[in-house]
Amino acid sequence: MTVGSQLKQTIAGLHGIQGTFRLYAAQARHDRTRFAFREACKVMDDILIDLEGRMRSLEFTEPQYKGL
Amino acid sequence: MPAWVEILLRSLGILVLVFILMRLGGKKHPVNLTPFHFVVLSVASVLAALTILTAVNFAFGVLAIGVWLLLPLLFDYLALRSKAVHDVMHGKETVLIKQGKIMEENMEKARLTGEELLKALRAKNVFSLADVEFAVLEASGEVNVMLKADKKPVTPHDLEWKVMPQTEPETIILDGNILHDPLTELGLTRGWLHTRLESAGVALDNVFLGQVNSAGELYLDLFDDAIQLPTPSIRELLFANLEKAQAELTTYSLETINPEAKAMYRKNADRLRALAENLRPYLLR
Repeated sequence: MTVGSQLKQTIAGLHGIQGTFRLYAAQARHDRTRFAFREACKVMDDILIDLEGRMRSLEFTEPQYKGL
Repeated sequence: MPAWVEILLRSLGILVLVFILMRLGGKKHPVNLTPFHFVVLSVASVLAALTILTAVNFAFGVLAIGVWLLLPLLFDYLALRSKAVHDVMHGKETVLIKQGKIMEENMEKARLTGEELLKALRAKNVFSLADVEFAVLEASGEVNVMLKADKKPVTPHDLEWKVMPQTEPETIILDGNILHDPLTELGLTRGWLHTRLESAGVALDNVFLGQVNSAGELYLDLFDDAIQLPTPSIRELLFANLEKAQAELTTYSLETINPEAKAMYRKNADRLRALAENLRPYLLR
């Protein structure tokens, strides 16, 4: 498995986690819980932006793995 | 009018009257009565019995019962407004143990023997007097105990743990029927419930009781106890996934040669670790 496809898997996993956080934030009945999961969503956003940027530059340098 | 008809009519009349007056009296349970309320109820019940058995004129009886049940209501109202009235009516609580020392004079005033004090402490699961910081005899006769700081049960606060704030669980299935009011209060739909039941592999008819806790997890009790239900562990799984993603990012940062990417992976791995630490109370406890 190339670095690119490994990274893609990680990104997909993080997206899944973020989705669950969103769900929990929506379900939460207590303000503090809702806030904690919302904040977690934001942190995940930042992390995903970084990782997806890295993904793009990987695809640019090794175009043969693009879209895998 | 034959005597039995009169007794019947009086019984019904007094029953209705007493029922209405008792309903007005609020929600105090007879077990926690203060002496004042106990006397009031005793007198009222004797009056009711006398009136029913035609020992007194019906109108006089009703008048007396009315006074004995309505005046205490008035006193209760005054007691709500004024602490002085409350203390006169119900008496004050008596401190029995202060700073770990028994107050013998107060015990005497309350006519409480040492045996009785020990019995009351044992009822509160305190067998050693050395563990007690403070104990008070309430006006209703109950003894309440505060333990010494080092003998109190440990709380998350003592352990400096953060815990997830919890609200009361809502019962949404009872006897195989969906309770709609709690369900809508939670912001959930029947569709959600059916999906959850399907994924648990049970039919609605088979569920005796279903509760949703504050984490949004559904707990089911089935009529058929032979069926094993999976315990909800999505949160633990999510936490494990967070840690897995963090480990992967750390691996990438070690594997990559590009220094910029190395720093980026490391930074995000740290972010994930901080996030997991922040969410630990919400996901694991």
